[in-house]
Amino acid sequence: MIEFQGVSKWYGTLKVLKDISATVDKGTTIVLCGPSGSGKSTLVRTVNRLEPIQEGTITVAGADIYAKSVNVNTLRMGIGFVFQQFNLFPHLTVIDNVMLPLRRLHHQSRKEALPTALLMLERVGLADKAHALPADISGGQSQRVAIARSLILNPEVLILDEPTSALDPEMVSEVLKLLRQLSGEGMTMMCVTHEMGFAREVADRIWFLKNGELTFDAKPLVFFSPEAHPDVRGFLSAIQKNH
Amino acid sequence: MLEIIREYGLMLLVGEYPHGKLGGLALTLIISIVSLAVTFPCAVLIALARTGPLRTPKAIASGFVHSVRAVPLLMLIFWAYFALPIVIGFPIDATYTLILAIVVYQAAYLGEIIAAGIEGLPKGQSEAAKALGLGYVPTTFRVILPQAIFNVIPGIVNQLTTIIKESSLGSIIAVSELSYVMLQVNSNEVTKPLQIFGILAATYFILCFALSQATNWLERRIANRRTGRVVVEAVA
Ligand SMILES: Nc1ncnc2c1ncn2[C@@H]1O[C@H](COP(=O)(O)OP(=O)(O)O)[C@@H](O)[C@H]1O
Ligand SMILES: [Mg+2]
Repeated sequence: MIEFQGVSKWYGTLKVLKDISATVDKGTTIVLCGPSGSGKSTLVRTVNRLEPIQEGTITVAGADIYAKSVNVNTLRMGIGFVFQQFNLFPHLTVIDNVMLPLRRLHHQSRKEALPTALLMLERVGLADKAHALPADISGGQSQRVAIARSLILNPEVLILDEPTSALDPEMVSEVLKLLRQLSGEGMTMMCVTHEMGFAREVADRIWFLKNGELTFDAKPLVFFSPEAHPDVRGFLSAIQKNH
Repeated sequence: MLEIIREYGLMLLVGEYPHGKLGGLALTLIISIVSLAVTFPCAVLIALARTGPLRTPKAIASGFVHSVRAVPLLMLIFWAYFALPIVIGFPIDATYTLILAIVVYQAAYLGEIIAAGIEGLPKGQSEAAKALGLGYVPTTFRVILPQAIFNVIPGIVNQLTTIIKESSLGSIIAVSELSYVMLQVNSNEVTKPLQIFGILAATYFILCFALSQATNWLERRIANRRTGRVVVEAVA
């Protein structure tokens, strides 16, 4: 579904992605982890061209995302993207946030878009908040709305960059529950997270990045075993200390 | 003072109206509001050019803003009043001349206020719009501008105060706004400048003070309503 081939990226002279090659199979969930500044955000942001790359190729559903025939906005419509900070539009109600892509990209009227959007809100358990403003709902609810908005155009891939890092601890589980559900429904997902319980349970593969390198790519069973790369073991024990 | 108000109060409010042209405070308000209304879309365009991705519009807008900020409004009024009719070949009513000069002048300042509102939004807003697949136009008009303009409403109201004060320059080209009317009253009643200009000062003060109070109130309301806002300092 997504293939990275020799992907490198520089910020000025700083090389932040180093020759990354990896594959995300259709219907699988990839969890990305690694120390802060290792390039996790940069890597997931290359997939929908929020970050350009200088070397290598990325293909999504078989098509090179930099091919001339690929329109960047069409590419992005097919890739849901969820940010750490939710990035809901604060001047729009919850339902208007979710409907915006339908209205502005599928050119549906409010009336046409409403049932689809309400159904999506029901899926994330927030139909009763449809007419609230983002300022009036909790962080966990905001992130679920953001997920609903990112799914409204039925993308083939869902990318999440630390979706629970900005949440109070008691709200983490409601978001993870939703992600577990989506993964179970066969969504192709790339999720940057340090929630190792979630990774162990939901991920098909776990990618470990360090200094812009994909140093370890393994199934959870291997990732959490003593055979894992020493860097991974060091990282895991550092995380455990923090928790 | 009271007898001046009794005698000239109506003139202060509406000028010669209904026997002649509308003037006085009413004209000052009309000029100010019309100027702001015409300035607003121009300022939005300037702000979009300033903050947008295209190099040429950016350079043009920036050149315009810097030029306008380097000259006094009075000079623009002279240009519009004396030079423009020669260039276009027909005369323009002095009131329109004044409005035109204020619009050109204020577009530069209001444009900077709106640009600051756009740049003050969290980067995540435009990124989220992009990530959904929205192009420049829907991102700008559905996501960025509604928030940016809302956040700078206090700055916009504040510019109205500035425009009201600036419109007094119309008295130089005989636009019969508030200051001009009081100048005429003063030439009728040569012995009472203290009272006459006292009334003039009080009128401007009440108007502008009320507006600045409204600005403060709006600022508090807007700050309470949202996060990711920007507080724009008054300019001009
Ligand atoms: N816009 C930017 N300009 C320059 N350097 C950046 C920028 N964004 C990220 N970086 C650098 O790129 C590296 C990877 O960052 P990032 O992908 O955000 O890491 P992570 O998400 O794993 O914490 C870091 O060294 C960071 O400082
Ligand atoms: Mg990151």
